[in-house]
Amino acid sequence: MGSSLSRLTEKTNVWPWLLLAPLGIYMLIFFVVPLVDVAIMSVTDPRLSLVNYERVLTGALYQRVFLNTFLTAAFVTVCCLAVGYPLAYLMAHSKPRTAMFILLLVTMSFWTSFLVRTYSWMVLLGNNGPLIALLQMIGIDDTPQLLFTRFSSTLAMVHILAPYMIMNIFSVMKKIDPALIRSAESLGARGWSLFRHVYLPLTAPGIANGSVLVFVICLGFYVTPVLLGSPREQMIAGLIGHQIDEFLAFGMGSAMAMVLLFITFVILTIYHRRFGLDKLWG
Amino acid sequence: MTTIMTPNRRRFLQTAGAAITASLAAPYVVRAQDKVLYVNTWGGPWETAAKTHLIEPFTKETGIQVKTVSPVSFAKLAQQVKTGTYEFDVTTLGAGELVRANQAGIIEELQAPYEGGLFENGAASHAFATVIAWRTDKYKEAPKTWADFWDVEKFPGGRSLQRYPSRVIPLALLADGVAPKDLYPLDVDRAFKSLDKIKPHVRVWWTAGAQSTQILRDGEVDMIGIWHGRYFEAESAGAPVAMTWNQGEIERAYWVVAKNTPNLDNARKFVEFATSAEPLAGFSKAADYGPLNPASNEFVSPEDAKRMPTSPDNYKLTFEQDMANFGIDPAELAERFEEWAAS
Repeated sequence: MGSSLSRLTEKTNVWPWLLLAPLGIYMLIFFVVPLVDVAIMSVTDPRLSLVNYERVLTGALYQRVFLNTFLTAAFVTVCCLAVGYPLAYLMAHSKPRTAMFILLLVTMSFWTSFLVRTYSWMVLLGNNGPLIALLQMIGIDDTPQLLFTRFSSTLAMVHILAPYMIMNIFSVMKKIDPALIRSAESLGARGWSLFRHVYLPLTAPGIANGSVLVFVICLGFYVTPVLLGSPREQMIAGLIGHQIDEFLAFGMGSAMAMVLLFITFVILTIYHRRFGLDKLWG
Repeated sequence: MTTIMTPNRRRFLQTAGAAITASLAAPYVVRAQDKVLYVNTWGGPWETAAKTHLIEPFTKETGIQVKTVSPVSFAKLAQQVKTGTYEFDVTTLGAGELVRANQAGIIEELQAPYEGGLFENGAASHAFATVIAWRTDKYKEAPKTWADFWDVEKFPGGRSLQRYPSRVIPLALLADGVAPKDLYPLDVDRAFKSLDKIKPHVRVWWTAGAQSTQILRDGEVDMIGIWHGRYFEAESAGAPVAMTWNQGEIERAYWVVAKNTPNLDNARKFVEFATSAEPLAGFSKAADYGPLNPASNEFVSPEDAKRMPTSPDNYKLTFEQDMANFGIDPAELAERFEEWAAS
């Protein structure tokens, strides 16, 4: 029986590849080829040299913006985790109707165009917005500027990206076998100890997945920090767009994109060594 | 990007055409397609105005069908020439981009559509001005100059300027006391020193036109350097605002034809039509611009002329950007400005 099974798997071995072929060819034409093109442009435009990389790696502006991009992405990821974890817990462990309601709220926000959400924050945080009015009502006269600060751009990015975190953690929490919790309890684990030694490790894959997704997506953010932040919140994607759209500096834009890609790749490799990239998709 | 990545209608047609080269029908397909002219527009109300006053009358007069593609993309214009894949035949550029486009050889040669109407192979179409606007509920006395804009003692409150260095640098020099006639070539170091003074008071460096209207209308800032058309939007929304044409910074917009387009003749015809007196007057009025063809003024009512930076009364108060004598490479300036703004 064992031999017939192995023959069967051998025989079916080509099928996964055949099924993958359309996607593989699509990715080759629309992702790999253009990416190679970008890589080539980064060293050939305006001439064959490494001058673009030299400027990207040594220019004060580019260093600053790269650093800001990664710090922002890291901070947004931490905030998403802080907001998302308790919410996912609530969803996973409340009555089906309550869980449905929270899920609906999360997905509704997820489905709303992110430009709309970005502009909504302008209304909410503006000088004549409800938040400032509330602060004035409770007697704070010297109200702080909320809009066009790091606060507002971070808040909006967390709002936009939190669903990725919540859904990832939620799906892992849902799969936890309640028997594990019960047996831990029967062995005397309570409260913090139960959470720290049993629940948290079980949800770790969800945390890791959500964090990587949020972090990587955030690296490419462009419009939100520009519209809600100040020039200090500039992220690298905005600078790349600027170089290409405004100055036709395709080489410079490509070099920045390659550096961003390389650093992202390094981060994903570290993640892969620690957790395994295959787990990213559950 | 390579052509393979940007398949579009013409690419598709060329491929399809190549596939049936043997067929006699092919030449007809290609010719019928080439009859349609593709014009790159800014979309929205801009495109509506262009359709009503430029495109539809043009089709009526010449029988040439026109389709629009938006938004305007300078990068795409360059890539089109590189790849030979054309998404549009005609587009509109500002002066800075125009100089770069002509240097890069990505636009076709044009004839002057009217006297003085040609610059670097762009047909001068319309103009807009960056003007000083303010909240009337905040200031009793009206600011008159960019020096007033910079004067936070006399006019305390939040400011906003566009995050667009080649537009802001001349304003900073005016504020520092440079006379409009001595502006160009720009003294960039002096300009940044002047910008240092206003920087702490600039609450928003606006990046999108709609955003500039919104922050003035909602009172996010008290004084702003804003495009005149965007100012009028805030005014018609009923906000307590006012503006002055004094020291308004005029910039011209040009029509250009993409280099080596298969539709060259029709494209040139369109540019000529779009810059002729009556269509241009209608378009400028509808899109809140000022026509640059002097012959257009005769189709502009005195009431509408008040809203145009190019009408004689307003024009004498303003100054024009001089991209030919700019004094610094705009890309270099942008890098310096972004670095300055981020620190």
